[in-house]
Amino acid sequence: MDILDSGTGTLRHIPDPDGHRAYIREHKPRAMVEKVMTEQEAVSTFVSDGDYICYDCNMIMRGPSSLIREVVRQGKKNLAVGGRFTYVIVNLLAGTGCVDHIDVGFIGVGAALTRVLDEGKVTVTEWSNSAMTMRQMAGALGIPFIPVRFVGGTGAFRYSAAKLARDPWTEKEVVLLPALNPDVSLIHVHQCDIYGNARIFGPSVSPWETAAASKKLIVSTEEIIDTEYIRRDPGKTSIPYYLVDAVVEAPFGAHPGEVQGLYVSDQPAIMELFAANRDKTGSGLEEYLEKYIYSVATHQEYLEQRVGIARLLELRRQAEIKEGYYL
Amino acid sequence: MTRATDFTETEAIICVVANMMEADKSYWVVGGGPSRLATLLAQALYIPNLTASTEDGVIAPQPAVPLQPLMQFVSAKASYRGVAWTSMNTVCSLASTGYFDYGMLATLQVDPYGNINSSFLGGDYYHPGRRFGGAGGANEIASMCWRTILLTTQEKRKFVKKMDFISSPGFLDGSPGARERAGLPAGTGPYRLFTPEAMFGYDEETRYMKLLAIAEWVGVEDVLEKMDFEPMIAPEMERLTPPTEEELEVLRVRLDPNGVSIRGNWIHL
Repeated sequence: MDILDSGTGTLRHIPDPDGHRAYIREHKPRAMVEKVMTEQEAVSTFVSDGDYICYDCNMIMRGPSSLIREVVRQGKKNLAVGGRFTYVIVNLLAGTGCVDHIDVGFIGVGAALTRVLDEGKVTVTEWSNSAMTMRQMAGALGIPFIPVRFVGGTGAFRYSAAKLARDPWTEKEVVLLPALNPDVSLIHVHQCDIYGNARIFGPSVSPWETAAASKKLIVSTEEIIDTEYIRRDPGKTSIPYYLVDAVVEAPFGAHPGEVQGLYVSDQPAIMELFAANRDKTGSGLEEYLEKYIYSVATHQEYLEQRVGIARLLELRRQAEIKEGYYL
Repeated sequence: MTRATDFTETEAIICVVANMMEADKSYWVVGGGPSRLATLLAQALYIPNLTASTEDGVIAPQPAVPLQPLMQFVSAKASYRGVAWTSMNTVCSLASTGYFDYGMLATLQVDPYGNINSSFLGGDYYHPGRRFGGAGGANEIASMCWRTILLTTQEKRKFVKKMDFISSPGFLDGSPGARERAGLPAGTGPYRLFTPEAMFGYDEETRYMKLLAIAEWVGVEDVLEKMDFEPMIAPEMERLTPPTEEELEVLRVRLDPNGVSIRGNWIHL
């Protein structure tokens, strides 16, 4: 296949489908074994310095907020992050020194991120939201790249690590995106059993591709349900157990974000988070991190001491739309 | 329908775009703000079964309005009464197979060939003056929907001869076949660009931006003054229709009661 043009961006992981297969063969548990653990244990066991990390959705929409806070709390280093369809998580991770490479689909750019970009402490490679989910799709298919009909012709191509090739069949130009197999991914779900059979209700970004492409997978769940319920209604299972390495029970785990059908987003808390991210002095983010992450040991402490039962109940009360989720 | 005499510029663009929407066409809409409000307004008044889909894979929702500014996707209200909840890759593949007639986008900067910048302003790529969110979902929309509709404001810094960065493709350098040579599907590209004051198209031969219509409260010169380059000018200038009282009532009472997204300079006719 003729390669006509190449983006100049950094590719953190060269696609390695055989290496990925070998990892899966060696490391992923096939047996139905209980994987329930605390967020501290899950993150310390399965998120390593230098990992490429992905997550589904974001901190305001059914994202794994409690797990992200734990990654920050544990002070992971040199992570690469797949930043697509996201607002503040990349800024939080960059601002706390967890990240040194960002693949960009769409990210919220806050003061901390601007600072580390200026200082040259992180590398950035351009893509687009769907370019990132298609890269995960290729990773989930176990193939080294995927041809797509977008990205081409733009700066997003020039500063990506994509290639323009001549398709051997149509003889037309086509963009090739390298597969992405993250080292670890974080997904927050509505329900999950102790083995990792997980249910997501409602719209998502790319939960399947994120789960299936990843080497390690931590699922946080609003509630743990009995496997009997999973077996009675298998059509509802979004992720089967053997893709999952850890199951973390995390009610209100998306807070300050929404989980559809269960609770609405906490708008004042989101405004506080966004303001902290925008604050150019840096002290706003410092204060936020201290108050909501470093000074609480667990997600439960965060809920009890920083959010409070009254607000949580109110968020639950306001989630009036149940159709499609629990009805 | 009663012609309104007092409205904001943002309300004007929302109403113009809502009136352009077609019942038998499909739309891929990204972002919140005016483009999303235009689809909601069209849905509320003219096309209840509007086939608009969002980046999170929600097909043809009838959202439980009003939507909070940051909760335009994935949330229960934004996704309410869709016909399917799919995923980002699903809608992307539907665009790739030609199912989307129109893509609707708001943009930070646009050049004469309808290329879009949403990545950074000033400096160069490695030392950006001000960095923004990136191509996001706009790139796939501008690449693969049959026709791209852009919304922006009429400002010199928005209409620039040459951009710092192309995040999402218009007609690229304007040469014949430029998009196809870059690997994009044949027969796609920019179609209309709306501002509160004007509607632009693109010349069929040169692909250069062309002023097609202006609002009632401006002249052609007023629009040209607010551009960094001179577009082609249609021989017969059309006039954009101002909002009706009914449209403004729906916008202000049902769709954006807190006035978050419909603020702007006031126009008095």
